[in-house]
Amino acid sequence: MKFAYYPGCSLESTAKEYDMSTREVFKALDTELLELDDWNCCGSSAASSTDYLLSLALPARNLAISENENLDVMAPCPECYLKLWKAYKSVKTDPEMLDEVNKTLEGTGLKLRGSVDVKHPVYVLVNDFGLEKLKEKVVKPLEELKVIPYYGCVMLKPPRTDRLDSAENPTGLDRIITTVGAAVVPFDSKVKCCGGALMLTNREVMLKLTHELLKEAKDAGADCIITACPLCHMALDARQIDVEMAYNEKIDMPVLYFTQLVGLALGIAPRKLGLNKNFVSAEKLLKSLEM
Amino acid sequence: MELETIRLKDCDQNFIKDVIEAGGKKAHLCFQCGTCTAGCPTVYAMDYTPRQIMRMVNLGMKEQVLKSGTIWLCASCFTCQTRCPRGVEITSVMGALKSIAIKEGIEVADKKGPVFHNSFIEVAMDHGRLSEPILLLKFVGRTEGSIPGAVKSLIKEASLGMELAKRGKMAFLPHKIRKPKQLKIICENIRKMEEEVQ
Repeated sequence: MKFAYYPGCSLESTAKEYDMSTREVFKALDTELLELDDWNCCGSSAASSTDYLLSLALPARNLAISENENLDVMAPCPECYLKLWKAYKSVKTDPEMLDEVNKTLEGTGLKLRGSVDVKHPVYVLVNDFGLEKLKEKVVKPLEELKVIPYYGCVMLKPPRTDRLDSAENPTGLDRIITTVGAAVVPFDSKVKCCGGALMLTNREVMLKLTHELLKEAKDAGADCIITACPLCHMALDARQIDVEMAYNEKIDMPVLYFTQLVGLALGIAPRKLGLNKNFVSAEKLLKSLEM
Repeated sequence: MELETIRLKDCDQNFIKDVIEAGGKKAHLCFQCGTCTAGCPTVYAMDYTPRQIMRMVNLGMKEQVLKSGTIWLCASCFTCQTRCPRGVEITSVMGALKSIAIKEGIEVADKKGPVFHNSFIEVAMDHGRLSEPILLLKFVGRTEGSIPGAVKSLIKEASLGMELAKRGKMAFLPHKIRKPKQLKIICENIRKMEEEVQ
C-alpha cells in the first residue's frame, strides 16, 4: 500500500509527535507514505468562513498534485481530512463544481479530475490495512492499560457518504485499542466538541468544554485518552494546565495520539514516537508498561 | 409576555439566496424543530440559538444575524448538521454567514472571531502554510486596543510558545511552499469569478 501523505500545517509544528508517530507506525506496517510535493494549507475552517470557493480551491490544488502521482491522499489532521474530502466529493458528484474549481486553478498548470480519494489514518488502519493484520504485528500488548477513545468532531462529522463509521457512536478507535491489547474505557463524550476551535477567540468557552471532557475522563479512572486530532490534542494536553488553573483541580491525564499508542504496541521506541513531546508526562504510563 | 413584531418589509428577501450561494446548502429547508440547538455545545453562551438564527436567515433578518455573537461562537463541530432531519447544512450556513459578515465588514461587539479567520487566511495565503507565531502576532495586534494590552496577551501566550519550542513543536520561521505564486493566481481567479457573478 502506498499513499500521498498530507501532513498539514499542525503536524509540522504543534503536532510534531503526531507526524513522527504516524510515519513510524506506517513504516512498521510496510505502508509507504510519500509526502505530497509542495502541499499547501487546506484553508481549515478559516477558508469556509471567508470564502466558499477558496475553501474548495485550496484543497483542490493539493488533490491535483496527488492526481499527478495517482495516489490516494492520507491526511491525519481531521480538519485537513474534512476539507480535502469535501473538495473531492464536491467535484466528484457535481460536474459543474468540477469546472468551477478548475477555473480557480487556471494558469497554475494544475487541473483536477476528481480521481483520487482522501482517507484518514484511523480508517486506513481499520479498513485498508485491517485489524487482524495489525494484531499480528503487535509485539508488546498493552495489557491492563485503560484507554479512552476520543474522536472529536470532524473526523466523522458531517457523516461521509462512504459511511466509514457511525458519526454518533463510532467504534474505529475502540477497535484499535482492543487490537493492541488495551482496555476501552466507556466514554459518553467520545464525539463531543472540545472547543479547541475557540482557543484564541473565546478562551472561557474552550476551557469549559475541555474541562468537561477531562473531568469525565478522570472520573472514569482512565490511564490516558487517545485522540486523532491536533486541535483536540492541543486543548486536552497543552492546555490541560490552563484547565487545572481555571478550575482549581489536579487532572494529570496523559493524552496520546492514537498512533503513539499503536506504535508502543508495535515495539517502537517511545522517543521515536515523540512521547517526550507531550505536555502531560507519559512517564508513569510507560513505567506501568515496563518501557 | 410581550411578542416582538418583525416587519417583513424591513427584511432582505435576497438574504437566504445569498447564504445558500455562499455555501449554506439547503438553508431554506429548515422546519424549526430545534434539534440543532439541542445538540450545540456552545449554545449556552450565544445571544440567539442556532434554531433562531435559521429562522432569521429565512426571514431575511440580515443585519441582526450578521451582528449576532452566535455565528462567531460556532466552533464548526458539525453536530447540528449531522443531526438535522431536513439535511440542512447548518454548520456550512454558519460558515457562509461568517464569510458574508467578513466581506461586508460588519462591525461586531467582539471582533476576535472575524479577525482570527481573516488573519489565518492571510498568513496561509502569504506563505502557503500556516505559521502560528505570525498568526498570533497579527491576531493580538488587531484585537488588543492598546500596546500594554497587546504585550500582556503576548506574554500570556509566550509561555505556551516557549514550552512548545522546548519540545521542538514551534517553528519561529514560517514554512514556505515553493510555488506561492500559484496561490496568488488562485486568489485572483476567484476574485474575477466572483466579480462576474455580481
